[in-house]
Amino acid sequence: MTKPASLPVAEGPYPPSEAALAEPVPQAEQQRGAEELRAAWKTPQGWRYVTAVNNSEVGKWYALTALAFMLIAGVLALLMRVQLAFPDMTFLDADRFNQFFTMHGSAMMFLFAVPMFEAISILLLPAFLGARDMPFPRLSAYGYWCFLIGGCFVLGSLLFDSGPKAGWFMYPPLATKEEGIGPDVWLLGLSFIEVASIAAAVELIVGALKCRPPGMRVNIMPLYAWYVLVVGGMILFAFPPLIAGDFLFELERSFDWPFFDPTRGGDPILWQHLFWIFGHPEVYIVFLPSIAIAAMIVPTVAQRPIVGYSWIVLSAVGTGFLSFGLWVHHMFTTGLPQISLGFFSAASEAVVIPTGIQIFAFVATLMVGRVKLTLPMLWIAGALAIFVAGGLTGVMLAIVPFNWQVHDTYFIVAHLHYTLFGGMVFPVISGVYYFYPFMAKKLLSERLGLWAFWLIFSGFNITFLPMHLTGLMGMPRRVFTYPESSGWGWLNLISTLGAFIIAASFAVFLYDLLRPKKAQGEIPRNPWGAGTLEFSHEVPEEAWGVRSVPHVTSRYPLWDQPQLVERMDAGRYYLPDAPDHQRETIVTSVIDAKPVHVQRVTGPAWITILAAIFTGGAFIFPTFHIYTPAIICGAFAIVCIMYWLWTTTARPPKEEMRDAGLGLRLPTYASGPDSVGWWAMWITMLGDATAFASVVFGFFFYWTARSDFPPEGALHPLGLWVGVAALAGVAAWALTLAAREANMRGKLGLARAALVLAPLAAAVAGVAAWTAVRDLDPTSHVYPAILWALMVWLVAHLSVGVLMQGYCLAASVFGKLTPRYDADLRNVTLYWHFMAVKVVVTAAILGLAPGWLS
Amino acid sequence: MSDIRDEQDAHEFRAEALSLWRITFSPLIWAVYFTVSYGTAAVVCAKGGAGAVALLRLGIGIGTLIALALILWLAWGAWRQWDMPRDREWENDAGTSEDRHQFLGHAAFLLAVISFIGVVYVSLPVLLIGSCG
Repeated sequence: MTKPASLPVAEGPYPPSEAALAEPVPQAEQQRGAEELRAAWKTPQGWRYVTAVNNSEVGKWYALTALAFMLIAGVLALLMRVQLAFPDMTFLDADRFNQFFTMHGSAMMFLFAVPMFEAISILLLPAFLGARDMPFPRLSAYGYWCFLIGGCFVLGSLLFDSGPKAGWFMYPPLATKEEGIGPDVWLLGLSFIEVASIAAAVELIVGALKCRPPGMRVNIMPLYAWYVLVVGGMILFAFPPLIAGDFLFELERSFDWPFFDPTRGGDPILWQHLFWIFGHPEVYIVFLPSIAIAAMIVPTVAQRPIVGYSWIVLSAVGTGFLSFGLWVHHMFTTGLPQISLGFFSAASEAVVIPTGIQIFAFVATLMVGRVKLTLPMLWIAGALAIFVAGGLTGVMLAIVPFNWQVHDTYFIVAHLHYTLFGGMVFPVISGVYYFYPFMAKKLLSERLGLWAFWLIFSGFNITFLPMHLTGLMGMPRRVFTYPESSGWGWLNLISTLGAFIIAASFAVFLYDLLRPKKAQGEIPRNPWGAGTLEFSHEVPEEAWGVRSVPHVTSRYPLWDQPQLVERMDAGRYYLPDAPDHQRETIVTSVIDAKPVHVQRVTGPAWITILAAIFTGGAFIFPTFHIYTPAIICGAFAIVCIMYWLWTTTARPPKEEMRDAGLGLRLPTYASGPDSVGWWAMWITMLGDATAFASVVFGFFFYWTARSDFPPEGALHPLGLWVGVAALAGVAAWALTLAAREANMRGKLGLARAALVLAPLAAAVAGVAAWTAVRDLDPTSHVYPAILWALMVWLVAHLSVGVLMQGYCLAASVFGKLTPRYDADLRNVTLYWHFMAVKVVVTAAILGLAPGWLS
Repeated sequence: MSDIRDEQDAHEFRAEALSLWRITFSPLIWAVYFTVSYGTAAVVCAKGGAGAVALLRLGIGIGTLIALALILWLAWGAWRQWDMPRDREWENDAGTSEDRHQFLGHAAFLLAVISFIGVVYVSLPVLLIGSCG
């Protein structure tokens, strides 16, 4: 890729010499820098506080909201346990019980486990990396507000007795045929939240790759950053299949397109595939970041570097890959060929190896270190014990014949709770104890912590250990009651008692978390003696993240670079001031973290909240089959997002270069692969391409699963119009590319002409694709339905592409986009590269596949 | 004092950008191998005739050998990049380009090992199960 030769690059000495670092910063200079930074990073006060976008605020809201949703889902579990305490109870009726178990699972997964990872990462990742903030603070804020609105909407449905009741994996035909709006609430509400999850994943990946402090090469970055990279990547490949599944599912619910209806050529198994291609990696998406917390705590507790850093990286990356080969082990009883089941059984056993390696690495670190048994360590120890037990039943369940025996029994319930409590709940609570001094500048109580731990550890085992037996004795999951003659009564009573002990533990924990701690006074900065950058934080709190961005040369800079904190505080390192009162952070290269440029980051805004409200409207109105307000909301959401991009991103800078400290001068504008926006686009499009691939997979799945696909004598898309769509779509791509090249060479007229023609070509492509399938009836059979779905997908993406082209045209006309400052156009061209592939693949399926298949 | 514009390591850097990708190559081979095996088995079991399963097993067997050979080749390259026998260095935890280089080799080597095991595991059903069932 050619780079605009005219943009300046970094200049000055690097890496900084010891002499330069040792030179003291004059007092006046220190004061000026601190005041400027304080002004730039000031958190909005009063009712404007909600407009804050700083990662420390958004991260806290996110974590507390996820905690609140978790508590609600926990209360649902308690109510279910009451109903199951004795045989033939009538505390809850069957319908309400169904709503509760569906919502318990859905909320724990979508409203607690995954968002909690995002919350903790948004809160902590910049601190681990000595960065000021995430690269796209407003995107985090937007994601948070989407999550809050979506979560309240989904949980709120219970209050109107209209929650979903088909179980958290919503199997059709039960869920597609279900009366009421329950499944629509689930599909649309959670799709809305998944969009927020993908936004957070993009942000976190870019943060870990591009916002590390100078000198923090990939071999010395905190293990948490490795886990974030892996989990972010997994979200990109795991969530889109579910979004594609939701798309098909909602088309069936709203418009009767028979994707999962076997009487019209559909197949409910497709939903199971799409759901579990998401659902199994999801388990690891929840587990890995939590165990990453352990990877940060264990070295501190052992007071020595982690043993086997490379092995833990292997473990994270290896688990990330292998976890995608397990999904069918949730479908062992669906009648797939034995040989296929064998592949998944084998992969399920293989994933144990990398998962186990990291646990051995932790144990090894503890063995060779001088362990202080602090509260966080106690919780980690509990986590390892419980997780290993859950892992062992997992190994049993990966064996097909055993799986058949216990499928859909309480054995599964026991197994999944062991993995999730051991793999997620315990490590996260451990993290709360460990990072509380960082988050709240206070310490949690040792005594209450011990109470909470022993209550939950015993309560958990009292609840779930008997469930293995209940399951083996034959109790199916999700039944709302059982007869006395079953003999499960006493086991269920024990489980119910245990559940209340867990609840007591959470009450203690919550009290400790939220009680006022004024009497505590000022705590030490690094109470655990940790070696990583987050404990260079300031007490009392400063909103700027770090006073100056350090140069890091070790995995444990606070241990190995003795004067580091002192020099950070003095503003000796990079970006020690903010002359324009603008928020900035430093962007470095991906592998060696060499400084590349200074990135301006966005500040407080209402627009993100407005955008989230309108996006919410676009998702929530269709639940009630009200489409006009939904479309209006969608349009407003687009306007809000465009306004926010236009006013604050990639604007030509006043000064091209910025003194970054230590004699280094860095550019203030970047375009193409140097810029964080380009990376965000690239990563988003990977996820989008995965969703598209999932819809295409659906097409070929029907072909292998059904002998009547395509049905005999079916109408096919009109070849001529398919051809026109392909040509026009490719032309729209070529014109966008031409606009980028012309713009870069300063031929503005030519570039603008191309940007006028490109949307026209895209519009022709969209209309032609629609014309090609117009005469097919999508409600008659799954064959026309999936072709229509592909067309709808294509047209929606073309429309977004047209908006982007229009945005660039306007930007060029109004001087936001110039030959020198062309980041917008480069990002849009990247979008269109992906678009061109989608056009060609869609056209091939519409135009050619019917000929090959029949 | 060195300058940030020093491009002496530009060549080395290009190689390094590749090696960050390279650590994912062996698991990617596993992923492709897994997907192709599963996809072929699904199509053959749904559409294939009587003799097709024997051909399927043979085909997957050949695929296994190819995947294993590729992973071994990657593992060999990664082993050399790690360069452990020469300097007996296991941790590679310094902020230097040499340590970063060797670390990426070590990580790639370990991932090749796990991918090798993964391929062997996934090939076992084909060895043991003779029909679509």
